[in-house]
Amino acid sequence: MDWPQKITTMLKRYQVQFINYVPDAIGEKLLKLMREDRDFHLVPLTREEEGVGIAAGQAICGKRPLLLMPTSGFGNAMNAIASLNIPYRIPLPMIIGLRGALGEFNPTQVMMGQALPQMLDAMRIPHFEIQREDEVEVLTEGFLRVCYSTESPAALILTTQLAGWKE
Amino acid sequence: MLKRSEATQAVVNRVNDDTLMVASLGFAKYDLFKAKDRPRNFYMWNSMGMGASMALGMALAQPGKRVVVLQGDGDLLMNLGTLATEANQNPKNLIHVVWDNRMYAITGKQPTATAGKADLAAIAIGSGFDKNKVARVETLAAFEKAFEQAWVEEGPWFIHALITDDAAPKERPPKSPTFIKHRFMTDLGVEH
Repeated sequence: MDWPQKITTMLKRYQVQFINYVPDAIGEKLLKLMREDRDFHLVPLTREEEGVGIAAGQAICGKRPLLLMPTSGFGNAMNAIASLNIPYRIPLPMIIGLRGALGEFNPTQVMMGQALPQMLDAMRIPHFEIQREDEVEVLTEGFLRVCYSTESPAALILTTQLAGWKE
Repeated sequence: MLKRSEATQAVVNRVNDDTLMVASLGFAKYDLFKAKDRPRNFYMWNSMGMGASMALGMALAQPGKRVVVLQGDGDLLMNLGTLATEANQNPKNLIHVVWDNRMYAITGKQPTATAGKADLAAIAIGSGFDKNKVARVETLAAFEKAFEQAWVEEGPWFIHALITDDAAPKERPPKSPTFIKHRFMTDLGVEH
């Protein structure tokens, strides 16, 4: 299996059903598999913050959502995460396609990409970067376990080392 | 003349114990608590803009249950894009009520965009809601009629309630976010 298949398989094993997303080139590698899989319900978003609210509603109704988004989207989502998931203790697994890091061609992506780990740290959100194919399964399973055990957000970051960079 | 307190009372009189409800930040949650505190009321203390989005998530996750969101105009104006997502997801069990007093009442009655030119019912239709399931009401009788139709028909429904500028009641819903969540989930019989 390649990394998108490994991640998708692990999400299914943990009964993650709702895929709330804003697309990016990295996330599309997962979305391509998810669209063809009837176990997933895809919810395209107009903005990542909206996905925080939708996912919270799904989670308190006993279902397991995912928020799939690019790096820039975490900035759009921060206040909702800080004021909803964290105080109400609502789990939110986030998969973030990393931009503004290794190999970035577009300077407008770099500030958010470089600030992402510190923004997650400032909100005490556990985050894990996948850099190699051989760590995909343990990091995907591990980030989901942390998310559900803490009933709080957790982030899995897909790097350019794993997914390649844009030309 | 439509008062938020009277219309909220009409909603809680019509729904049943199975119904899932969300009340947005601001005055909507105070009136819902005063009208009837229920385990399946989810009170939002913050997260401006998220009221309708949470309700959409609930409606998708529990398609067999009615979901009603009571939201102020300021809350919806912060996240108009979610109307497009609601329309595209098309949950038949969702009733979206907006209390439009054309002001940010809780922060000192500053005008919102609906005090100017914006029209939330028109925006809902433009976002993809069926125009036959979008109602604009200004009286209690018209509100009750629209809510009854929304209750017996399939949704998603959008009820744009033009309300007076009444202050909120003094009563306050539970302040503990974790209490609100656990009470809701326990009553629904679900876990994460």
